[in-house]
Amino acid sequence: MIALSIRDLVKSFPREVEGDLMAIKDFSLDVEEGEFVCILGPSGCGKTTLLRMIAGLDAPTKGEILVMGNTVRGPGSDRGMVFQEFALFPWRTVRRNIEFGLEIRRVKPEERRKISSHYIELVGLAGFEDAHPYELSGGMKQRVGIARALANDPKVLLMDEPFGALDAQTRNLMQKELLRIWKETRKTVIFITHSVDEACFLADRLVIMTTRPGTIKEVFPITWERPRDRASVEFAALRKRILVELESEVVSGPQRT
Amino acid sequence: MPIISMRRLKGRIRLSGKDTLIKLLVGAVALVLFLVAWQLFADSANTEYLPTPIEVLNAFVDSFSTKDPSSGVTMGKSIESSLSRFILGTFLAIGLAIPLGLAMGFFPLANAFGKPLIEIFRPIPPIAWVPFLFIVAGVIWGPVITIFLGVFFPVLSNVMFGASSVEPQLIDAAKTMGARKPTLFMRVVMPYTIPYLMTGIRIGLGIGWMCIVAAEMIGTRGGGVGAFILNNANIGRYDYMFAGMVMIAILGIVTVESASYIERRVSRWMGAKR
Repeated sequence: MIALSIRDLVKSFPREVEGDLMAIKDFSLDVEEGEFVCILGPSGCGKTTLLRMIAGLDAPTKGEILVMGNTVRGPGSDRGMVFQEFALFPWRTVRRNIEFGLEIRRVKPEERRKISSHYIELVGLAGFEDAHPYELSGGMKQRVGIARALANDPKVLLMDEPFGALDAQTRNLMQKELLRIWKETRKTVIFITHSVDEACFLADRLVIMTTRPGTIKEVFPITWERPRDRASVEFAALRKRILVELESEVVSGPQRT
Repeated sequence: MPIISMRRLKGRIRLSGKDTLIKLLVGAVALVLFLVAWQLFADSANTEYLPTPIEVLNAFVDSFSTKDPSSGVTMGKSIESSLSRFILGTFLAIGLAIPLGLAMGFFPLANAFGKPLIEIFRPIPPIAWVPFLFIVAGVIWGPVITIFLGVFFPVLSNVMFGASSVEPQLIDAAKTMGARKPTLFMRVVMPYTIPYLMTGIRIGLGIGWMCIVAAEMIGTRGGGVGAFILNNANIGRYDYMFAGMVMIAILGIVTVESASYIERRVSRWMGAKR
């Protein structure tokens, strides 16, 4: 079953003087249920804009996005989002951050508690239920971010460079943790990154975007078993191939339309 | 310009126990030096206008048991009058500034509507209103409204600033979890604004005390500590006049410090410590 379908998506931002800025052009992609797709591209290629449109935070100029066959017309609990800067509510404890979506959907308190406890356990935050975000490290904050997005039981998990603000070691650890969580929950994941290494480590399918206006340049399916060995020859070879693809984009630079 | 809380930043610099003790001692030394200098100066000047600290202390203690000859009430009664007006004015100001500040901070149209009015009235010092207020509002409500004006604007500015500075990511995050406008307002904008509100209240209370003293001095028939000071000056009881000033200082310190304490507690409870 196709969980997410993006059809002929166009996004342009109106500008007074220079004419409209074409951020995304003719972007089409189908994502299978349970698939882990990484979207990789040079900075400013519209990756985040794409994700925001899937989340329903921005409206497409043209084209259509469908989640489980339903057209996206705004934000909804069938999609969960994880932000690079965590975006946790500083006045809420870990548990109450995770329960935010459930409160809005008027889930009963006992049920909320059960669900939040489950996800606290899943992301490895047991013992930190009553901590406030400022008491947590970056990696732990993002664990809250992931649990909070999952608590609504979304069909699709949208991740916008979720580990971009973390140090290299924490980042590697969080990638492994994410794969474990993904295996347990079997969510469809759209993961945006500019790290080739990260994408090669995580993805079932790796989508490379062009510079502005962003569209699909190349798609690499990666069928290797997980956990993947970063030190292996195959991994290095794939990483190199993708780097070459990306670099040709960065050099050619963005075009105005 | 909105007033931003520096206290939240300062809260991070925690002194060790020993440092705190030394600072307290140095502060105490300054206080003692001041009292000694005052005593010496008053002794040498030998004028009735400047009583010694001991005389002021005596008058202060005495003022609670004896009635003020010009107004016929004790200090306790004066404090009661001032405090009740202060509390009433403060509550009215906070009660009105919160919804207005939230609306003007969050809804651009409310801001466009309210801003010109606010900007016209804000620069007028509350005390400038006093003569007008005494004519139309009388000796009781005149000071209340003066305090209202003193507290209202700092609270409004801070709440407005808080509501307009909510991180867009928090709004986005709430939206992706299914929050619509009313929920966003109740569960994101309002809690985000609470630390700003507390800062506004603390600043407003400080200004409020200045306002009430000035207001009570212009309309002394209404009583209060401000009237107590002026009445005693008029009849030449300068030690009592100073006692009134000391009382104002104490009341001011107590209210502002308790507001600061609550502000710090709330900030911590809200997780604003970063």
